[in-house]
Amino acid sequence: MNKESLRKSVSSALVVGIIIIFLALIDFHVVLAGMIQKLFGKQLYSGRLPDAGFFLVFLGLIGIWNGWRAARLDQQENKSLFQCIACSAAAGLTTGLVVAVYAVIVGSIDAQGTDLRVYLSLLSSDSIQFFLFQQPVFIGGLIHLGFGTLLAAAGGFMAALYYRNQDQLKERLSSVKSWYQERILNKVQSVPYINYILLGIMVLLLGIMPQVWGSYWNYVMGTVGIYVLLGLGLNIIVGLSGQLVLGYVAFFAIGAYTFALTTAPEPHNLVVNFWVAILASIILAAISGILVGLPILRLRGDYLAIVTLGFGEIIRILLRSDLLKDFTMGPRGVRDIAGPTLFGREFSSSADFMYLIIIAVILSIFFAKRLQESSVGRAWLSISQDETVAQATGVDTYKYKLLALALGASLAGLGGALFASRNQFTGPEDHALMVSINVLCLVIVGGMGSIPGVILGSFALKGLPEILREMENYRMLVFGALLVVMMIILPEGLWPASRPKLEIDVGKESESPQVGAGGES
Amino acid sequence: MNPVLETRHVSKIFGGLTAVNNVDIVVPEGSIASIIGPNGAGKTTLFNCISGFYKPETGNVLYYGSPIQGMLTDKIASMGIARTYQNIRLFKAMTALENVMVGFEPRLTQGWLTAVLKTPGYLKEQNYVIREASKLLDYVGLKGLGDNLAINLPYGAQRRLELARALANKPKLLLLDEPTAGMNPQETDEMNSFIRQIRDDLNLTIVLIEHDMRVVMNISDQISVLDYGKKIAEGDPKQIQSNPKVIEAYLGPGAAALSEKYRREKKQ
Repeated sequence: MNKESLRKSVSSALVVGIIIIFLALIDFHVVLAGMIQKLFGKQLYSGRLPDAGFFLVFLGLIGIWNGWRAARLDQQENKSLFQCIACSAAAGLTTGLVVAVYAVIVGSIDAQGTDLRVYLSLLSSDSIQFFLFQQPVFIGGLIHLGFGTLLAAAGGFMAALYYRNQDQLKERLSSVKSWYQERILNKVQSVPYINYILLGIMVLLLGIMPQVWGSYWNYVMGTVGIYVLLGLGLNIIVGLSGQLVLGYVAFFAIGAYTFALTTAPEPHNLVVNFWVAILASIILAAISGILVGLPILRLRGDYLAIVTLGFGEIIRILLRSDLLKDFTMGPRGVRDIAGPTLFGREFSSSADFMYLIIIAVILSIFFAKRLQESSVGRAWLSISQDETVAQATGVDTYKYKLLALALGASLAGLGGALFASRNQFTGPEDHALMVSINVLCLVIVGGMGSIPGVILGSFALKGLPEILREMENYRMLVFGALLVVMMIILPEGLWPASRPKLEIDVGKESESPQVGAGGES
Repeated sequence: MNPVLETRHVSKIFGGLTAVNNVDIVVPEGSIASIIGPNGAGKTTLFNCISGFYKPETGNVLYYGSPIQGMLTDKIASMGIARTYQNIRLFKAMTALENVMVGFEPRLTQGWLTAVLKTPGYLKEQNYVIREASKLLDYVGLKGLGDNLAINLPYGAQRRLELARALANKPKLLLLDEPTAGMNPQETDEMNSFIRQIRDDLNLTIVLIEHDMRVVMNISDQISVLDYGKKIAEGDPKQIQSNPKVIEAYLGPGAAALSEKYRREKKQ
């Protein structure tokens, strides 16, 4: 028996114990047990706590993971079954002990009648009782100790079995994979027009969903959609051309206010047609992108980031200043912004608006994808990787950086216009720095320069907090922790960008003159 | 008839250090000219002045008789001056083929809107670029490696890829900064004959910085020697080999006399 591996197991188990305590302190176990319960189709508890059984499932999974981890901590090939289980059991015992001590302390304080909610708002007596399986303090602690040890040992046993039969398992897995590829994937791919069929299914799904979701989810998904637009735009600027622009919200604000001021009855009473106003927002945002870019795009890296950060704040402060009060309504914001109309029919329901956002997102994805794969996208990528060399290779870096800023800004303008139209209101506080940060985050979390990454990223950043609503007070804490974990596990993003294989489009072949270098040798 | 490249009294000063001091070099059309000198002699700085990375404090860089100093590097590149780098600088996260395609940039005429709409004109141009870029890859000996990311290529292949990228814009003047650095003798020989082949195939003029004297003496029509930013000698390989100033710059003061003595003893 190796002392070193035992020590490692115990120290890793301590960390696991602390994680469990942390989760217990923010009431995560209650919420998660509730979520598991919901997943199995049972009614979500109302007012009362979920079954202890689901808490045990949750604890058990952590215990097995703990044991598994402990068993393979030092990558020793030839650990015997007994050694594995011993390590895991030691780990389980440690974790169980830590958790049990916590349970006993909290439990006995609670038993004395002290209200712990004074210190941590979710640490109610109910929650503590739930953590102790509704048992007396010491019995609850013992259950934690025993259960943790037992399942950790089970985890160790499983790990040992797995590593012993690793090769066999891998072989079986690969045979399943090849079977899947031969029998299913190839067959599916050989169906004519499969791409169009899949597209059709997607369109059908997107067509039905807004009707089924109800207005709350339409609102949430609409926000996700608008953030996809923003993400696609910033992805062009940051992900492709590599310019770190932190004031992206300025273009969003310009789009929203252009739309607001041209369609709202107050303050200007222009009441322009919806589609004309959208077009105006896009164009004005693009022009502002160029105007901002002209003086500052000679800056690089951190300097560019700071200058654009300032620009974003300037726009927000201008919008709420008294100086422009007659023009932009100042801090009160603009009300009664027009909704979309088509051939005289008003889009009244939330589903209608959702369709509009879906269409805008699809068009923008198409737009961004074409750009990314084109020679323009290549020039942008070369700038982001080595601007000096790109320029010396003949890329007009100034032109391409301006183009990136203008196109990225125009997508933000579109997003802003849709945002203002949906809310029928926009004010300076809709355009705070946090929007820029959020969009940058979703681009990074999704994977720089990757369009599927942007979509996944917006779901993760804007959809996840809504799903986590059940966490109530600790929503943002859990959200932050998830982001940290995501970036540790997938440092290149949820869906990293990859480079395409380039092929000549057959059928569009054309005669071409010889280039000097070609083919002589 | 103007020479392809001429530097007239070019100086580049960094703070108190004169990295390039009043250097005159004339490179006639179709020749291979080498710039040699000990470490820190200002060779790469001179290159940077020619390709537009630096603006020289004084003097002119003439390309076919017209001054180009102080112009933006992309402008200079589009005029037909291409270069490679001492420490390889590829676009690492792009494929080899894409690296070469970026080199075609100055010759592209289509804009972003036609790219989004994939108009026939755009597709025609792209197909042309893909075809010519793959031909260039074949030419430098990277056949079939086009889809690999540049960073995944072996060292020698990366050097060749850099060369292919430089050739993409049909340059008339090619600046090579230590093309054989880090290569073994066999690779060096291959590169050696390849440089000459490029010159003959494409009617180029080549200026190269090189440390490997075997390469320099073998390949050059003309050699300029820099030391502490100053040009101390110029001539064909024979003249440079016996120039006492050059020997002193490389081996230290007194070395020239020793070498002379050694040569005399050998003759006897």
